[in-house]
Amino acid sequence: MSSKGLINLIPLAGKQLLRHRVRTLLTLLGIGAGIFLFTLVESMQGAVSAVTGAQASEATLVVFRENRYCPSTSRLPEYYAEEIAQIDGVREVIPIQITVNNCGASLDVVTFRGVPPELLHRYAPEIEVLEGSLSTWQKTDDGALVGKNLADRRGLKTGDSFAAAGVRVRINGIIESPNAQDNNVAYVHLPFLQQASQRGLGEVTQFNVRVEDPAMLDRVAEQIDDRFRSGESPTFTQPESAFFARAAQELIELTRFTRWIGLGAVIAVLGLVANAVLLVVRGRVRENAVLQTLGYPDRAIAWLVLLEGLILGLVGGLLGAGCAWLFLHFSHLSFGNEGQIMAITARLDLVLRGMGIALILGGVASLYPAWVSVRRPIVESLRS
Amino acid sequence: MKAEKNFPLVRCAGVAKRYRKGSLWVTPLESLDLEVPRGEFLALMGPSGSGKTTLLNLVSGIDSPSEGRIDIGDIAVHELSRRKLAAWRARHVGYIFQLYHLIPVLSAYENVELPLLPDGQSKRDRRERVEAALSLVGLADRMHHFPRELSGGQEQRVAIARALVADPELLVADEPTGDLDRESADSVLALLRNLAEEQQKTIIMVTHDPKAAAAADRLLHLEKGRLLEDQHVK
Repeated sequence: MSSKGLINLIPLAGKQLLRHRVRTLLTLLGIGAGIFLFTLVESMQGAVSAVTGAQASEATLVVFRENRYCPSTSRLPEYYAEEIAQIDGVREVIPIQITVNNCGASLDVVTFRGVPPELLHRYAPEIEVLEGSLSTWQKTDDGALVGKNLADRRGLKTGDSFAAAGVRVRINGIIESPNAQDNNVAYVHLPFLQQASQRGLGEVTQFNVRVEDPAMLDRVAEQIDDRFRSGESPTFTQPESAFFARAAQELIELTRFTRWIGLGAVIAVLGLVANAVLLVVRGRVRENAVLQTLGYPDRAIAWLVLLEGLILGLVGGLLGAGCAWLFLHFSHLSFGNEGQIMAITARLDLVLRGMGIALILGGVASLYPAWVSVRRPIVESLRS
Repeated sequence: MKAEKNFPLVRCAGVAKRYRKGSLWVTPLESLDLEVPRGEFLALMGPSGSGKTTLLNLVSGIDSPSEGRIDIGDIAVHELSRRKLAAWRARHVGYIFQLYHLIPVLSAYENVELPLLPDGQSKRDRRERVEAALSLVGLADRMHHFPRELSGGQEQRVAIARALVADPELLVADEPTGDLDRESADSVLALLRNLAEEQQKTIIMVTHDPKAAAAADRLLHLEKGRLLEDQHVK
C-alpha cells in the first residue's frame, strides 16, 4: 500500500469515529482531562526548574539569618552591608527587606521586596516597565512596581493602591521580567517597607551579595558567616540557587510527588484510548472483514485502527493541553512557601509536549486493537 | 490476466475444504472440479451447508482450500500469500454480499470509492471510476445519498457498483437478492445479467431462489460438498 493510500484513509478513520458520537465525545473528554492534568503537573515542574535552575549560573550569594527559613523571622542589622562590602572579592551588597502575607504554602502569596530605590536596576536588571514609570516610583516613598502576574491575579493597575501583609502601597508601574520571581512580587522602597512592616529602620531580611568571580562564591560565603558568627545576628550564606532550593524544599518535594499524578494521568489516557479503540474494533469485526474482502490489505485495516487512536489522542490532547494553557494563562496561578514564589505559567512548549504525549499514547494504545483487527481469518469474521 | 475467449476464467481442480469445529472435522466441500468460462453467469444452488458459500469464498480468495488448486485466469490463487491475495482481490474480484454491508456514515459515492482508497489513486481518477460505476447501476443521481436514504434495491445496486469500481473480471455474489422484494430482486438480476452480457463479467452467484437462478447461464446444484448437477439454463 502506497503512502498516498495511507493518506486516503485518514478521512475514513475520522468518519468512523463520528459513528458513535457520544462514545467518541466521552473518550475525548477523558483524554482531555488526563492531558489537562498532565500539562498542569508539567507546568508545576517547569516552575520549580525556573526557580531552582535558572539562578545557578549567577555569581550571587544570599545572606540570611542562621537557622531561619521564613523572611518574617530572618532579621539582620542593615549595617552588616558595610562590613560585608569590605570582604575581599565582594563587588556589591544590596540590603533587602522581604514581607510576605503568608509564610506557609499558599496559592496566593503577596511578597513585597524592599530595596534601595537607586539599586533596583542592579538587583533586578532584567525587569521591564510595561506601564507606569520607574522614575515616578523612585520619587514616591510608598510607591510600588508590581510584577505582571501579581497585577493580573489581583486585577491591579497603575494608579491603584492595594494592601497586603499590613502594608498599603500605591502602584507606580507594572513590570515584567524573564525571571519568574520578579513577575510575582511588588518592589517597594526599603525604608518604606521597614517602617510599614513595623520592623523599624536599620533591619533587613537578607543581603544579596555579588562576588567578582563565581569561583569565589564558597570562600566569600565562608568569610561572611565567620565574620558574624559571634555577633548579635549570626548569618548563613549560600549561593542564590542553593538558597532558592533550600527555601523551596517543601515545594520541590510537593511537585516531585505530583509527578505520580502526571504519570497516573498518562496511564489513564493510555487505558482510555485502548479501551475505546478496542470497543470500536470489536464492534466492527464484520465490517473490517468486508473491507478485507474488497481487497484491503491487513496493513490498511491496522492503519485505520491506528488512525482512530491517533485522531482521538490528537484531538483529546489538543482539548486538554489547550484548556490547560487557557487556564494557566488566565488564572495567573503561582504558589509560594517561605517567601519563594513559583509562577505556574502557560508555556507553549509544555502545551505541545502534552499534545505530543497524547498523540503517542493514542498510537501506542491502538497497537493491540490494530493487531486484534487483522488476526482473525476473513471468513470467520464475516460469519460473526 | 489474459483475456482469451473460450478459455475458462475460473478453474477448480480437486478442491476440498476441511476445518475443525471443536473435536469434529467438518468438510463443507469435497474434491470439486469446476470450470467457468469468461463472461458466464453461473448460479450455485443447494441446501444450507451444501458448500455453496465455501466455494464462493475459495474462488474469491478470502479462504484457501485444504486440497486442490484454484486458477483464476493465469493466477494460481491457492498459492498466493495472504498479502498477495489481498492485492489480487482488489484488482480482480468484486464481492457482492446479501446484506450489502455498506458503511452507514458514508454516502453512496464514498461507499463505492472504498476499494480504491488503499491503492493511492488520485482523487480525480477515483471520481471518474466511481461516477462510471454508479452510472452503470443507474444510481448516478443518488451518489450523495446515505444508505439510510436508499431502498434495499438501491443499496444493493450501490454494493454492486462498489464491486465493479475496480473493473474486476470476476464478480461473486452471495445471495444478492436474498433480502430484497421481488421487484427489486428482478431489477438486480437484470443488472447482473446485463453485466455478464454487455461487460463480459464472469459472475458466480449463490442463491436459494429458483427465479434468480433462472437468470443465470448455467446452474450448479451442490449437496454435502459435492457437485450433483450441472445444468445449462440458457
